[in-house]
Amino acid sequence: MFLSHMFSRRGFLRSSLLGATMLGALASAAPALAQTNALYGPVAENPTMGGRLNMGLLVEPPGLDPFHQAADARIRVTVLMYQGLFYESPTGEAAPLLAESYTVSDDGLVYTIKLREGVVFHTGQPMTAKDVAYSYNYIRNAENGSPGAGDFSVVSDIVVKDDYTVEIKLSEPNASMPMTLGNKYGAIIPAGYFDDENAKNRMNSQSVGTGPFKLVEFAPNSHVILDKNADYWEKGMPYLDGIDFSILPNSASMLIALKNNRVDLVPLSRPQDVQQIEGVEGLTIERWPSLGQTAIDLGAETAPLDNVLVRQAISLATDKKEMMQASIGDFGTVLGTVPAGLQEKWGLPLDQVPMQGPDVEAAKAKLAEAGMADGFTLTLTTINGYDWMDPAAVTLREQLAKIDVTLDIQRVDLGVWIKNFRSKQMGLTFNDWATQPDPNLLFYRHFHMQPKGADFRNWNNAEASALLDDARASSNAEERAEIYTKFQKILAETVPTIMLFSPDHITVRRERVNNYSQHPTGWYYGLARTYLSE
Amino acid sequence: MSASLVKRLFASLLTALLASLLVFLLMRSVPGDVVSQMMGQAGGDTAENALRQFFGLDQPVYMQYFNWLLQVLQGDLGTSWTRGVPVTEMVGKAFLVTLEIGVITLLVATLVGVPLGIIAAINEGKPLDTLIQSFNILGLSAPVFWTGLMLLVGVSSVLSWSPPLRFVPPSQSLSTNLEILVLPILSLGLLQAAAYSQFVRQNVVSAMHQEYVRTAIAKGVPVRLVFFKHILRNVLIPIVTFMGLILIQILGGVVIIESLFALPGLGRLLLSAIETRDYPVVQGALLIVVATAMVVNLAVDLTYRMIDPRVRES
Repeated sequence: MFLSHMFSRRGFLRSSLLGATMLGALASAAPALAQTNALYGPVAENPTMGGRLNMGLLVEPPGLDPFHQAADARIRVTVLMYQGLFYESPTGEAAPLLAESYTVSDDGLVYTIKLREGVVFHTGQPMTAKDVAYSYNYIRNAENGSPGAGDFSVVSDIVVKDDYTVEIKLSEPNASMPMTLGNKYGAIIPAGYFDDENAKNRMNSQSVGTGPFKLVEFAPNSHVILDKNADYWEKGMPYLDGIDFSILPNSASMLIALKNNRVDLVPLSRPQDVQQIEGVEGLTIERWPSLGQTAIDLGAETAPLDNVLVRQAISLATDKKEMMQASIGDFGTVLGTVPAGLQEKWGLPLDQVPMQGPDVEAAKAKLAEAGMADGFTLTLTTINGYDWMDPAAVTLREQLAKIDVTLDIQRVDLGVWIKNFRSKQMGLTFNDWATQPDPNLLFYRHFHMQPKGADFRNWNNAEASALLDDARASSNAEERAEIYTKFQKILAETVPTIMLFSPDHITVRRERVNNYSQHPTGWYYGLARTYLSE
Repeated sequence: MSASLVKRLFASLLTALLASLLVFLLMRSVPGDVVSQMMGQAGGDTAENALRQFFGLDQPVYMQYFNWLLQVLQGDLGTSWTRGVPVTEMVGKAFLVTLEIGVITLLVATLVGVPLGIIAAINEGKPLDTLIQSFNILGLSAPVFWTGLMLLVGVSSVLSWSPPLRFVPPSQSLSTNLEILVLPILSLGLLQAAAYSQFVRQNVVSAMHQEYVRTAIAKGVPVRLVFFKHILRNVLIPIVTFMGLILIQILGGVVIIESLFALPGLGRLLLSAIETRDYPVVQGALLIVVATAMVVNLAVDLTYRMIDPRVRES
């Protein structure tokens, strides 16, 4: 969820930066890769089989348990070992993965899912409906301590019809149910797996999923080794014999390792790192659209942020483009009310988004209307270790100074920040989060009133919550889009959050790496379709 | 002698106990715990409480400490909350990496620093002395991450080479192990050799100006004899102390070098465990650091006894 990034126009934009010399020149990216909804990325036409890929990771997965660990660094890697019933295709559809097909009852309350046959777990056992029921029953029971439990709260029952058919019953209609059965939290694992009290720990040394790769070794602060799953259900996949992830937290060292052939593929997050390797022979830099977003959150729990006029004034005074330029240059897209990867399909057209800056006069008028024309002081919280936040914070301070709002910048550790966020005491803060390609999963939990949502920003907006309920219940895509448009207008008008920009995913690969595509979530699905040409 | 040793050991144990209590309380006073890290922005109260119960975080802090201590006394440092691996195994592996770096660095620093310091002292005030002192000042003032990075960048651009990324213990392949460690050890060794050389020079110079040395030389004792029998013997004690200090410093402070060169040592383990609030690992790793510092200090004390008869008698 944290530290994911984004961008998009029509589906995937992919831009090769090889040979480019200036950041400015890099912004005019040329669309190249044909859009595909094939699982995990495009199938290669004439791949070379075998070989091991060395991938460098700047951020280490804190653990490899898909049921109890929410960190994005975990999901990026575990999607290669574990699978849910559906795959989050980049264009926003839930494509059947371990499911083969499904039907929905007329009232939208029963999903009957036909399962793929011939799927075998890494343990050698065949996958059947009872494993599916066990896995989802485990995750939806909050007593089992999964961060994904909340997403499954509308599931009322899971019924095994036969070995390869399962019925998922809902307490209320939920159009994003298939996407929820994707790969972010949980996965299909053998029934009864967690009965063993040591099972949670074992997930860090042995994978029990159905994915294209198996876990061989996870050594803290050093490496993660995956081998090809020889019994994988997709015939002829994956192409690689294995993947060796090397964990190297220092980007300067990582770039040197890349130059000297120690790694084949590295995801980068800082434009200054990209600049250092531009023009290096044998390296190809690519940019990918993202579902991540950087944002200013405005918690309404205390004055003056409880005053909608003040929040509107801040929104009007904010120059998103200038903030993006200051923190990541042109390596991203300025946002309206959804991450860039969702804009095309679900976003309120950018020219219709209200309260967009920079408009200093309008912002001052709002403050005058609130009786605060003389300005005031606010504390902005930023998180240590998020590189974009420091330049963005300083830029925002300059922007708000124009309406006589003084910004005190306070840097905190992630642990402190999460505590404030979860206890709904966030005040004015930067945020960095990502979503699956679905508006319900993006908005509902964050913005719906309690108790159904978490409403972290104390927005408490009944009208917006009703719209979120309607959109979730609607099975008609057009109607859903219309309702979400209304919702986004309210969101922009009353400003519980100001979505700033989506930083692109940037990958650097050596020439021998072929057919890697970066999924907009930032997860490494593309490795299941990658091959080496030497 | 044995009575004083027992006294020392007892004091050490008490220090370790106090240190562990301090670490235990400090870690728990930092906001956020492993559960909130695992949940991130997702999750709910029931799920969180269930996990807190799983880790025993729902118990009062004194109970948690007592249980942990009981476990440690049985030789069990617990299991890592994020990795699910026994802490003893994790810390043990990381400790061996750091110990290898520490010992080799110490060796390099001693072999380079001590002769340099002696040469500078013998040539006090001469150009050679100035040259060596310049090296010392350069080594002492360059931060280790800068030296490390410059070595990495320099070697990479001249030789188109950088160390392998995945650490291999010497038992598996000595040559790969050394390939990985040569730059980190050089970065650390350069700094420590400079500190060492400066230290030795000062001690030797001040010994040379002592009256007993002047007397010995005036009496016609050969200079070489005076140097090896009197001066060196007298500066051995501070040198041994200095070795102990360096080793402890390396064991506790190589986190930057470990991050720069992707070495899975104790410093990085501690840092990542603090970041993920993996209390058992932090406590276990720090206990090992404290224990090692004590063993080194004890070894230094014992060495004094061998070098200096006066310490033995007192």
